[in-house]
Amino acid sequence: MKPTKNIALQEKLYRQYMEFFEKAERDRRWSVFDDIPWDDINPEASEELALCVETFAAVEMFLPDYVASGINVVRDWFGRAWFQANWGYEESKHSIALGEYLMRSGKRTKEQWFGLHHDLVQKSWQPLFDTPRRMTCYGMVQEMATFVIYCKHRELAKQQDDNCLRTIYDLIARDEIAHCRFYQDVVKMLLEEDREGTLADIAHVLANFQMPGVGLVPDYDSRILKMRDAGVDRDVFIRKVYLPVLKYLGISRREMLSAQRVAIEQRAAQSANPAAE
Amino acid sequence: MTEKTDLLTMFKSVAENVDKKSFDDVTRESIITDLGIDSLSMMQIVGDMETELDLQIPDEDLVEIVTVGDLCSKLEHRIGA
Repeated sequence: MKPTKNIALQEKLYRQYMEFFEKAERDRRWSVFDDIPWDDINPEASEELALCVETFAAVEMFLPDYVASGINVVRDWFGRAWFQANWGYEESKHSIALGEYLMRSGKRTKEQWFGLHHDLVQKSWQPLFDTPRRMTCYGMVQEMATFVIYCKHRELAKQQDDNCLRTIYDLIARDEIAHCRFYQDVVKMLLEEDREGTLADIAHVLANFQMPGVGLVPDYDSRILKMRDAGVDRDVFIRKVYLPVLKYLGISRREMLSAQRVAIEQRAAQSANPAAE
Repeated sequence: MTEKTDLLTMFKSVAENVDKKSFDDVTRESIITDLGIDSLSMMQIVGDMETELDLQIPDEDLVEIVTVGDLCSKLEHRIGA
């Protein structure tokens, strides 16, 4: 697929991005300095809550990799690449808000915060998929999962009377669902262009999906265990991610079966013989 | 009773076909998560059983499935509907 030569698709992508960008500029922009009630931090909020914030912030710290790798995969698609640039700005704000929360609440010192950054950047994130379409499908699923997680944590922050953190999660969740909608609308366009190929890519991404912090954030598994009650297990993934995404795209579960079967078989083959690919 | 046994047998066969491993020891009480079946394989197993039985479980009912017996019951309900 060579989208650069497909002017009609390029125009559609551009229009989609402009629609997203206009809404972002007119209605969704927020400021770390003006829109977060820093005075409403609850210093008595639990360490568990802080650990969750730290984990989210740690995942966000790989932003340079997400931006560099992500934007180069989609650089031939004008609207999609410009979206990636805007996405990087919004995610950087998320990272700053979470980090500021940790330091202003006293849950982490500056030394701990920058020490964590130092430890994290010794590793780098590598994209799981190498085509623009697969990366778009990945973005769609990942942003939806992230949105679900932030919504759950917003409720936890509310339960612990931390209005500051609740507001941060609220603002981030709003951004994440906007990102997800953009990806979904792009995938809809790609389905119109090549339904069979796009279904195959959606299935491939679902079969090989993992959240970006896996293998990068220290003690990721134990952190996730502590966050499990407010995370995304299999049932939540099906209910809040898989089914809503398919519904939005106008894909029935039955239509996914052939592509899913192939993707699951390929995953099993890859797992049995990792050197094959 | 026969129908219940048949759906359990069908589950084992379909799951084995999807995940390429044996599910011989599975009972209706088995919790699907404990069987090492991930989200996508779960949706594939459900979809393949629906196709074989020519019926469809409503999406909202899928979220109530915890055990293999829950899945079989949902299918039995649709067969009987």
